[in-house]
Amino acid sequence: MEFLGQDRREGLGRRSNSRFILILLILVSILLLLSSLYSAQASVFKKAREGVIDAASPVLEFIAGPIASVNELFGYVSDYFRVLEQNEALRQENAELRQWMEEALELRSVVAAYEGLQTYKAPLEAKPIDAFVIGEANDAFARSMIVNAGRGSNVETGQAVVDQNGLVGRIVDTGVNASRVLLLTDIQSRVPVYVENADIEGILVGNTRDKPVISITAGPEEAAAQPGQRVLTSGAGGALPRGLPVGTVHRQAGDDIVIGLYANYARTRMVRIINYEFPSVDAPSGDALPIAADEGDPAPAEG
Amino acid sequence: MGYRAENLLRLAKSAAPTLLGFLGVFLLALPFRFFEGWAPTPIIPLVVVFFWSIYGPDLLPSVSVFFIGLLQDLLMGGPIGLWAVVYLIAQLIVLSQRSYFIGREQRVVWIGFALAAATSSLMLWLVMSLMSGVLLPVVPLALQMVATVMIYPLFAAVFSELHRRVLVEA
Repeated sequence: MEFLGQDRREGLGRRSNSRFILILLILVSILLLLSSLYSAQASVFKKAREGVIDAASPVLEFIAGPIASVNELFGYVSDYFRVLEQNEALRQENAELRQWMEEALELRSVVAAYEGLQTYKAPLEAKPIDAFVIGEANDAFARSMIVNAGRGSNVETGQAVVDQNGLVGRIVDTGVNASRVLLLTDIQSRVPVYVENADIEGILVGNTRDKPVISITAGPEEAAAQPGQRVLTSGAGGALPRGLPVGTVHRQAGDDIVIGLYANYARTRMVRIINYEFPSVDAPSGDALPIAADEGDPAPAEG
Repeated sequence: MGYRAENLLRLAKSAAPTLLGFLGVFLLALPFRFFEGWAPTPIIPLVVVFFWSIYGPDLLPSVSVFFIGLLQDLLMGGPIGLWAVVYLIAQLIVLSQRSYFIGREQRVVWIGFALAAATSSLMLWLVMSLMSGVLLPVVPLALQMVATVMIYPLFAAVFSELHRRVLVEA
């Protein structure tokens, strides 16, 4: 019974014919691969990806719930063994957070006082979109997730995705009901960030490892980041809002600053997509140029 | 009367390996995170391609293999054509060694699969490293391939039951 395929029926029929097609298809695939190298965002490929996400999303959404509960049953085994330890840590963190809460409440009243002033102009409000993670690329090199919100709920390519811990990634493909989030650890991920209190600006570059690396674009001659310093999005380029928490400095190796992310991808289930619009400079409404409008005499040289 | 039903059945039978391949791709897109994401999801389509390239290449034509790979590329968001190349080359290699594998013990075939998985990994790693311009870490890929090789006997047993009892039997 272990000797499968001795039957004549499964003989080597039509071999030469299919071999030709096989080699032809290999060539086609290589061609596709080469062309996707030069035009990763080509509209045909992008449309195909978005179509596939859309087609798969109803089923993914249906299965994602049960899988999440199974994950919780089997997944977090380490939790069972570290309950006491984690409890202690949480209690400590809670005490710290209470102090922060006091401070935040105090600051809130201060901010409210400032907002009451006549000259205050409120910044544009972001309209976040909440979504569940319904799929994930279980691939050694591609790091992405599929979430159940798409163009139908105003999700657009390039928007930032955060969870309760911090920045998760960016939207790269948007279907009607689902979109793909490129995680910060993906090899293609590039996010402009800065290190708080260290005067360092840079690009966070994914490398498929758990801890991505900042490649410094601006900073002091010998940039030195201390472990534990916070890393936030810098908003350079205008694609992402400034100040989203990304992680902390893990260590610095030469020019590379290794970052420990706040996001824990093994537990990311609910995310928030930040519908951020870069404040446009020449908005027709005139709201975007309050200072120029107030002073009545904008500098003409800048036009 | 039963003619149409018979035709449908035959169609379903001949499409079964292809559908299994698609199902395997779909499995890769599910958010399994056992043991905090440390247990990698096995690459079932590779098992499907390997198995039917040996025992029933007529049931899994290269066109099917191409589309299985293409679907995986589209669903994973990676470069398009990558997995299609990997699966097709795996099929090419397996077909060329088919006369050796046919009628062998499953243990031998298992070793063959391990070799095919290793070749595929090497190819994947080389292409991805070339495309990204840096040497990528090998550990995640190796873990995933090891998981795939480990589950091969299980899936091969199920597939051979299916193949012998359902697909080939008239």
